[in-house]
Amino acid sequence: MTSLPLADLLGLSAALLGIGLFGILTRRNFILLLIAVEISMNAAILNFVIFSAFLSGDAGVNGQAAAVVLVGLAATEVAVGLAIVLALNRQRGSINVAEASSLKL
Amino acid sequence: MVSLVGIAPWSPEIVLVAAALLVFLLDTVGVKRSELFAGLASGAAALALLFVVADAGFAPFALVRTVDPSAVDAAPAGGLYAFSSLGLLFQAIFLLTAFFVALASASRPSDEKGSAIFHGLLLIATTGMLFVAVAADLVFLVLAIEVTSIATYLMVGYTRRDPRSLEAAMKFYIIGALSTALSFFGVSLLYGAFHSTSLVALSGALGGTTQPTLALLGFGFLLVGLGFKVTAVPFHAWAVDVYDGAPTDVSAFLAGGSKKIGVFAFFLVFIGPIAFFDARGAHCLTACGSVYNFHPTLAVSLGVLAILTMTIGNLLALMQRSMKRMLAYSSISQAGYMLIGIAVGTAPALAGATLQVFAHVFMKAGAFLLVAGFATIGIGPLIDDYRGLGARRPKASVAFALMLLSLAGIPLTVGFVSKFILFSAAVQAQGFFLVLAIAGLLNSAVSVFYYARVLKVMFMDRAEPVPAPLPGPPVAGGSEPAVLAAGGFGYGRATAIALATIAIVVFGIYPQPLIAAFQSAAEHFVLTGA
Repeated sequence: MTSLPLADLLGLSAALLGIGLFGILTRRNFILLLIAVEISMNAAILNFVIFSAFLSGDAGVNGQAAAVVLVGLAATEVAVGLAIVLALNRQRGSINVAEASSLKL
Repeated sequence: MVSLVGIAPWSPEIVLVAAALLVFLLDTVGVKRSELFAGLASGAAALALLFVVADAGFAPFALVRTVDPSAVDAAPAGGLYAFSSLGLLFQAIFLLTAFFVALASASRPSDEKGSAIFHGLLLIATTGMLFVAVAADLVFLVLAIEVTSIATYLMVGYTRRDPRSLEAAMKFYIIGALSTALSFFGVSLLYGAFHSTSLVALSGALGGTTQPTLALLGFGFLLVGLGFKVTAVPFHAWAVDVYDGAPTDVSAFLAGGSKKIGVFAFFLVFIGPIAFFDARGAHCLTACGSVYNFHPTLAVSLGVLAILTMTIGNLLALMQRSMKRMLAYSSISQAGYMLIGIAVGTAPALAGATLQVFAHVFMKAGAFLLVAGFATIGIGPLIDDYRGLGARRPKASVAFALMLLSLAGIPLTVGFVSKFILFSAAVQAQGFFLVLAIAGLLNSAVSVFYYARVLKVMFMDRAEPVPAPLPGPPVAGGSEPAVLAAGGFGYGRATAIALATIAIVVFGIYPQPLIAAFQSAAEHFVLTGA
């Protein structure tokens, strides 16, 4: 179970967060942005699972419970994001974030 | 059988959720009347407010007290939630904002599309805010913030037809999701470092863990995530576009209410058990003299964040031509003042920051509600469009002037009281915190310029003979009966604005009971850390 060292596993989740943040900063397509957001959320969820595997008793179970709750939360957030994408697409016929720049004065 | 006693403390939340479900149900069965939904929402907020004020120990309402008095301000036990006087004060502040916004929105057209969505989500968002104020666990806290965030993303874009509000919703969503991801990543690292997500486990901060690097990273990520929520300066840019593009009643709710959950989250995470307890759980005020002898780095970094936030918010507010954008930047600079309180971290400073949050309900949410009202009677979005308004709409203009004077911190307004308490707490704390007090005073002076400019435009400048008509909706609102009532705003909005204005003056002239209540709540918070 705990044959992999903690540092390697944390490196994986840090890489996921990095990929997610990079995507959020560089992507201009709203769907790809949603995917990037989802990847960075998953980094946090993975962290909870990793730490709970190294803990025993209540402390370990708490982390797994948090992970399950977070999966539900991430799904809710993406549902709202998709609703916004649909409304944007209906209104502008485009889901390119860079084209949405009317809020300037 | 389920004991009713067990769920009694959650009466405010239950009332709000029940009202929200009723609004959605009525909308589904075809009752689509905006003023009915607004009445339900403001009624539910008022009832919940009654419960919360009773729980906070306000004697005349003792009969409807739902939380066991011994459970309020109890020593931290490490559960998911804990009731504290300060948290209850924040709950009252949040409910007051929701009440004002719902009351004002009663004046919107009866057949407005999406009205049920707006009022239902307003109640759901407020429920999330109430949960933030009782959180005692990091996962609980971030989930509660998220309940509010998800509801407010939808509120910003609920009209769906207005391209500006949809664009604001999109920006709000992206930034919100980013800040959520960062907060959760921080929480997960703290879980790894402290082996628990309870706030009590954070006692002693880096001294309480065997993995200080992990804990430091966790606190850092959480600082950035929460920094987005309170619009602290490197993470502020979204707020202006969102407050500008959102329907103005929603901006009032965001600026006056939902942004402030970040302030309380800062209290919980960076002031609570961390600041007041050492790793063994002993109370730190006795052991280490001053709280920030214990955590100088944290104090200085929060202080720098506060100075940046005030200064940059103020300087950018000076350059705005649009009323809503000016108010949005002023909202950012006001967040800087609240951060002063968090950086100083003593009981008077916390009381001052909470007072500032309280004052904001009346002056900032009130100002946005008033701007929304001015828009319904055909006043344009630019500051110059308010030219000569003092002569045409004297009562509303005086109310707006009072709100701006309160934001600037002029004596005899509630905004002065909160700033006075806040800055004098920073002066008392000595050392580095003197810099914060001076920076706050200088910034207040700068802010007077842009508020006074609006006053000058409203009262000194003569209106142009023919006001430039705006493209789109008809300029004069005389054709709609609802708009004619109460000086053109509708009775709901006029009442909300009148109440806010009265509160600004009354609490400005006679603040003693208010200060006493906030001070004692802050002292309890300092003693129990929750």
